[in-house]
Amino acid sequence: MRTGKKSSSEEKYLFFRKKGIKEQVIVWLLFFTASIAVVVSAAIIYTLVEGSIGFFFNPSVNIIDFFTGTKWAPSGLNPSFGLLPLLSGTMLVAGGALLIGAPLGIAAALYLSEFANKKVRSVVKPIIEVLAGIPSIVYGFFALLVISPILQQYFGASYFNAASAIIVMAIMILPIIVSISDDSMKAVPKHLREASLAMGATKWETSVKVVMPAASSGIIASILLGLARALGETMVVVLAAGSIAKFTINPLEEVQTMTAYIAQVATGDIPPGVAVSAAFAVGLVLFVITYIINLIAGRVVLRIKRGGAASGKKSRIAQYIKKVSTYFNRLWNLLLRRTRDKKTSLQHRYLVGKIGKTSIATSLLIAVVFLVLLIISVFQQGIPGINWTFLTSFPSSIPSKAGIYPVILGSIYLVCLTLIFAVPMGVGAAIYLNEFAKDNRYTRFLRRIIQNLAGVPSIVFGLVGLAVFSRLFGFGPSLLAGSLTLAIMILPVIVVTTEESLKSVPDSFREASRGLGATKWQTVRHHVLPHAVPGTLTGVILALSRAIGETAPILFIGSLFAKTAPSSILDSFLALPITIFYWTRHPKIQFHDLAASTIIVLLIILLSMNFVAIIIRQRSQSRRNW
Amino acid sequence: MENHDAVKGTISMRDLNVYYSEKHAIIDVSMDVLEKKVTAFIGPSGCGKSTLLRALNRMNEEIEGCRTEGKIFWKDVNILDASVDPVALRSKIGMVFQKPNPFPKSVYENIAYGLKIHGIHDKNKLDELVEKSLKAAALWSEISDRLDESALSLSGGQQQRLCIARALAIEPEVILMDEPCSALDPIATAKIEDLINDLKKKYTVVIVTHNMQQAARVSDFTAYMYLGKMIEYGDTKQIFENPREELTENYITGRFG
Repeated sequence: MRTGKKSSSEEKYLFFRKKGIKEQVIVWLLFFTASIAVVVSAAIIYTLVEGSIGFFFNPSVNIIDFFTGTKWAPSGLNPSFGLLPLLSGTMLVAGGALLIGAPLGIAAALYLSEFANKKVRSVVKPIIEVLAGIPSIVYGFFALLVISPILQQYFGASYFNAASAIIVMAIMILPIIVSISDDSMKAVPKHLREASLAMGATKWETSVKVVMPAASSGIIASILLGLARALGETMVVVLAAGSIAKFTINPLEEVQTMTAYIAQVATGDIPPGVAVSAAFAVGLVLFVITYIINLIAGRVVLRIKRGGAASGKKSRIAQYIKKVSTYFNRLWNLLLRRTRDKKTSLQHRYLVGKIGKTSIATSLLIAVVFLVLLIISVFQQGIPGINWTFLTSFPSSIPSKAGIYPVILGSIYLVCLTLIFAVPMGVGAAIYLNEFAKDNRYTRFLRRIIQNLAGVPSIVFGLVGLAVFSRLFGFGPSLLAGSLTLAIMILPVIVVTTEESLKSVPDSFREASRGLGATKWQTVRHHVLPHAVPGTLTGVILALSRAIGETAPILFIGSLFAKTAPSSILDSFLALPITIFYWTRHPKIQFHDLAASTIIVLLIILLSMNFVAIIIRQRSQSRRNW
Repeated sequence: MENHDAVKGTISMRDLNVYYSEKHAIIDVSMDVLEKKVTAFIGPSGCGKSTLLRALNRMNEEIEGCRTEGKIFWKDVNILDASVDPVALRSKIGMVFQKPNPFPKSVYENIAYGLKIHGIHDKNKLDELVEKSLKAAALWSEISDRLDESALSLSGGQQQRLCIARALAIEPEVILMDEPCSALDPIATAKIEDLINDLKKKYTVVIVTHNMQQAARVSDFTAYMYLGKMIEYGDTKQIFENPREELTENYITGRFG
């Protein structure tokens, strides 16, 4: 009954034709690219655990002291490895950033979603996206060289202080909180607002008492994601918060965070030995903390979403959250002395609304003003130094002679190589997940793994890149190792954006093709992929623009002292963010100006990449006739 | 179009015109809605009955591009005038929507929301008023023990009665209902129709419905609309048994719509 003899009766057996070998191979290939995410996750865990074991088994290290000790002094004759100062430094900075950034972000999102008209939205939303696209090294520069001096002068802060990092990081996590909260509030159905208005509530009352609570799952998720981001931030704290681990809550003092210590090891400021392996133990703790927070974020969203629609079954956590919120409510009412009836005139209610609207508009303004100040100060410091010599010379210890020619080349090579690795992996995985994968346990597991990868701090990728690509694979501190590290870091981003563009292709196209007898791969190849190309391209370009500005992942691998541009993929390389990093903290202040100039170059490259991506997106959307 | 002569109604619409950008949705409507009676707006889809209803509590103003011209007199005031605050108006003219839209809060909080907005925070008073509203909506016996549960866990019919209770809690004088039963099953529908019969003792009720039998069962007066115009308006009995206009008769007898 299978095909074989070419006869007129062959037609009868067309129904039984087996899938071609080619199709099978392609599907298996796609399956493997998707499963690379699992390999990467395993590599991360392996790296951290193996390094930590090496650390804990060292005779001068006591695991109990590690988790309970209050002194972190890894170098010197009598090193102590008490984690608590690093933990407190991390909590101080991340907590402070959240304390400032979350209310600011939610207020800004409330204004954007409920009160801003179309014109304001069309101006502000891109500004928020720009804020999100600025590399953290630029924020670090701003924190150390602009914010910190102000704090030193008016508040008596030390040269390195937590406050400058806190302030800058609050603005850094703002875009995450704003965009997710804004999306959540916009998603609240119109009929809920109508129900409230029809009862004689003002617009402000409707926004605060109906829309915000209805969007609470998204808002809380955005806060948790902002927290995870703050916990994993490296470059801002390395540059601005300091390198002395102290157990303090005073933000005007110098502190060291967990990420900063790992970075300190990467920059070679720590003598080789047990202190270096301590970085892996610290990295493991950091990884676990951010993993747990990302997990909680996912669970919180799910629970609140389900809690709204579910009836009887209420888990203990949900009941606990309910209890806590009723207590907070009572406390709040008590504070406002709202236990008796008050004659609330309409005028009073309108006044409250006006005050509220003004304050949340102000928070939006703060974000915009911050961006403007950042750009102005960087440009003021950096523009004078940009000239042809600067762009075509080599780095030097004499500021007037230093240039960034090999640095630019290094970054470009790095990004191109990253593209070569990341695109097949990411796009292949997305195609597999969206078009071929069945809904079974492995697929769900794969999706969760990819989601978790997105939340891993960038410095942890740096550790993995060092241990796996540089050492284990023996690529050394090379372009190859650096690009592989960046590739696995931007993998989740590419998978998500590619999947989105695949999803945007209507199912009717697929159905029509299959209905004509085409195989799955033929359908995907001819009817889905062509339409998904612009969206995928946009996503890839945006992912690469993130990669080009990343410092932490390549801190262990990139070089400072290379004199020439790399000529092979196994050469060591210079990269723009790393050069910015070293020049920002250089003792000679002329190098600070050069750092600013390099930032401008980096921002221009980023801007061009984003511009190209936006053009592609606009043109493809205007051509779309379905 | 002729008005119902004799009794001066509570809400009087005069030369009402509503535009959605370019579309002329309500054309020169003049009619009276009488106090403490149930008035039904009927007509085929798209005839403008919902728009007319929403004009009464100025909810059309929430829609971008919507323009209302004309006058609506209530208690000797033109409620369309700019000097009238729609927020204040809506606490006197309540509305129940087609699809039940309880807030994603508890049953208690749904009703307490309106009360708190109007300044009532005393716990005992709130408890009392919540119970009163739920009883008025014929829902108390069913959920008195479930006040702290999410409103979304109620059945569709219960949710709609909750929305009615919510509207009643702030003690309006008029209740507007936009096809309140169209998303509900027959049993829930029957319960709400009984409720409407009860409500008209204390409130003026205006109900939009595409179900002619419901209009015949429930209303005292019926207005028939077609393509934005008020074709005929009068006693329900008269409209259904002895319509004056041919268009009305065609609709009633099912010749179209």
